[in-house]
Amino acid sequence: MSFMTVSDSAARTPSGIAVSGVSRAFGSVFALLDATLTVPAGSVTALIGPNGSGKTTLLLMLATLLTPSTGTIRINGHDPVTEPERVRAIMGWMPDTLGSWPSLSARAALQTTGRMYRMTREQAAVRADELIALTDLDNFADRPSRVLSRGQKQRLSLARALVHSPGVLLLDEPASGLDPAARASLRQLLRRLAGDGTAILVSSHVLAELDEMADAAVFLADGRTASPEQVAAAGASARAWRIRSLDEAALERALAAAGVVGALVQVLGVDQLGTLVRVENEASAAALLHNLVLRGVPVCDFGPAVGNLEHTFLDLTRETGHGIAPNDSEATK
Amino acid sequence: MNDSRNRVFLTGLWLIVTLELRQRVRGVSWYVLLGVFMLLVGIATFLLWLATSAWLSGGGGVFSTIIFLVLLLGTLVSPALSGNAVNGDRDAGILATTQVTLISTGQLVLGKFLAAWITALAFLAAALPFLIFAVVLGEVSGGTIAVSVLVLAAELGVIAAVGVGLSGILTRPLFSIVLTYLVVAALSLGTLIAFALLGAATQQQATSVNYQVVSSTYDEQTGKQSDIVCSTAQTSTYNVPRFDSYWWILAANPYVVVADAAPGSFDDGGNPTDLFGQIAVGVRSAQAPPELYQEYNGCDDAAKGYSDQAFSDGPTLQETYDGAVPSWFIGLAMHLLLGAGALAWAWRRTRTPATKLPVGSRIA
Repeated sequence: MSFMTVSDSAARTPSGIAVSGVSRAFGSVFALLDATLTVPAGSVTALIGPNGSGKTTLLLMLATLLTPSTGTIRINGHDPVTEPERVRAIMGWMPDTLGSWPSLSARAALQTTGRMYRMTREQAAVRADELIALTDLDNFADRPSRVLSRGQKQRLSLARALVHSPGVLLLDEPASGLDPAARASLRQLLRRLAGDGTAILVSSHVLAELDEMADAAVFLADGRTASPEQVAAAGASARAWRIRSLDEAALERALAAAGVVGALVQVLGVDQLGTLVRVENEASAAALLHNLVLRGVPVCDFGPAVGNLEHTFLDLTRETGHGIAPNDSEATK
Repeated sequence: MNDSRNRVFLTGLWLIVTLELRQRVRGVSWYVLLGVFMLLVGIATFLLWLATSAWLSGGGGVFSTIIFLVLLLGTLVSPALSGNAVNGDRDAGILATTQVTLISTGQLVLGKFLAAWITALAFLAAALPFLIFAVVLGEVSGGTIAVSVLVLAAELGVIAAVGVGLSGILTRPLFSIVLTYLVVAALSLGTLIAFALLGAATQQQATSVNYQVVSSTYDEQTGKQSDIVCSTAQTSTYNVPRFDSYWWILAANPYVVVADAAPGSFDDGGNPTDLFGQIAVGVRSAQAPPELYQEYNGCDDAAKGYSDQAFSDGPTLQETYDGAVPSWFIGLAMHLLLGAGALAWAWRRTRTPATKLPVGSRIA
């Protein structure tokens, strides 16, 4: 693949990110209390949490910019605290702030970044051209970056994170400011990079977006990552499904009829997009659909009203009002 | 292996220098500034040429004054250009994106310092035509040219280092720029004020004793006096400032460093021929302690017929200059230490992964 031409051979060591029991205090304020997660090579993991939950702090520590107060971090087996240079050679970071050298063009900024990774002038120029094509910046590549729009800066920032073909990619809100087409190509790009063995950690608020590209999700609230059990429980809890039929009257009749709606389903009401029902689990949803089809209702749309991640996220944060871990919600307020 | 590591370091360092120059020294306004500076120096050169009668006395006065003009403008512009080198990048969100690359903190801080220094040296380069003109006028020694230009360049480097250093130490760009200006002001003006105030505040009592002729007989033929009746000792006391205790404060003044470093150039009468010499003589004469006890015996003089003029001829300015201790290397060493210290501190503060963050700062 063209954008792998100048990759570091070490960047392909397949192990990804491993974070264990990491906390970070700023003075007496804890920004992160206990984060544990792994991102295997070749996968996309979503990092989800409310504002101020410690997502950016965690990413800064992974990006070798902050030391953790406690806990260990390994990026492809290297410790960002003791071997920052080895980590930097294999790690790409896209920050949430969109800074670029204001008087440099996008092309010059990418070439300069390449040179900062010790590429030769020629290698950096070739790589910059590849990335400009990859992130669709052709029309803006030679304008000073201070005139770029937010979305264009966002793409430049992504391109810069990819300059040295990193084996581990950290993206802080990569989709904000992107138009739908750019979001779609971002999604495809990340899937393709993951397919090539890159370990990718993406933080975002656009949960539907992450649903489509993430293999796994890490939920972070009040400085703690949710345990897999909490996530499983939250994901399996009752949720709203939306049903749309070509014949709304037939759907209404069928839902009112006896034996169609099981004990685990509750009709919530009708909105302009369809009928909302609350189902306890996926099995009861399947049973409901089965019954509707048997009744001859022309169902054209049947699915969860909110995405998996959003449902889990809302459920986890709802559980305690704010936090994930019930026993700590008092202490961390 | 070591050689290739050095090459990697220097390549990265130069990358930061060029990046910094492209970022900060950009566009028309910079060249307008240099143009205005050249115009000012040109006017000053012409006026100095008239004022010092340079076609007769040589270009020493013109040369030394241009060097001081470059130092003045360099120290006035440099803080604005270097005082936000690190924290300005942090504010713009481009510091951290550099720090996650293979550029080390040392390369980053040193590169920014070199770029700021090169920027200040551009003023020296812009003044070059006028310096050459002054040399062509004659009477400027090779030693004066070499030493004053080198020491001037070093002093501009010190200001650049202080600016970049403070920008790495302090979080807010405005504050670090202002503080850099205060450092410049403290060295350039503060030393003078401190010297004057401390010297004037440290008064010491001096005593002078006079014997005067009360009556005598004057022989018109020999022109001598006899039967001299002398007065009793007339003692008067007064306070003198002790500037000699504080002359070293002036050594920290960058203008004094440049002036004192240049080899003194004097005319036949022992008077300095350039501004460097005048300042150096002034500073070095402050080293001499004041006479705390003076005795004047008018009767002795009268008896000798005022033949030897013991009290009339003091040492020439050149003798004062030669008899005192040069101080410029102490001042220069202090400045270099200050600059290096600021850079080292900035390096410590900017290192990543960071353990501590300054209050209210975002690392990105």
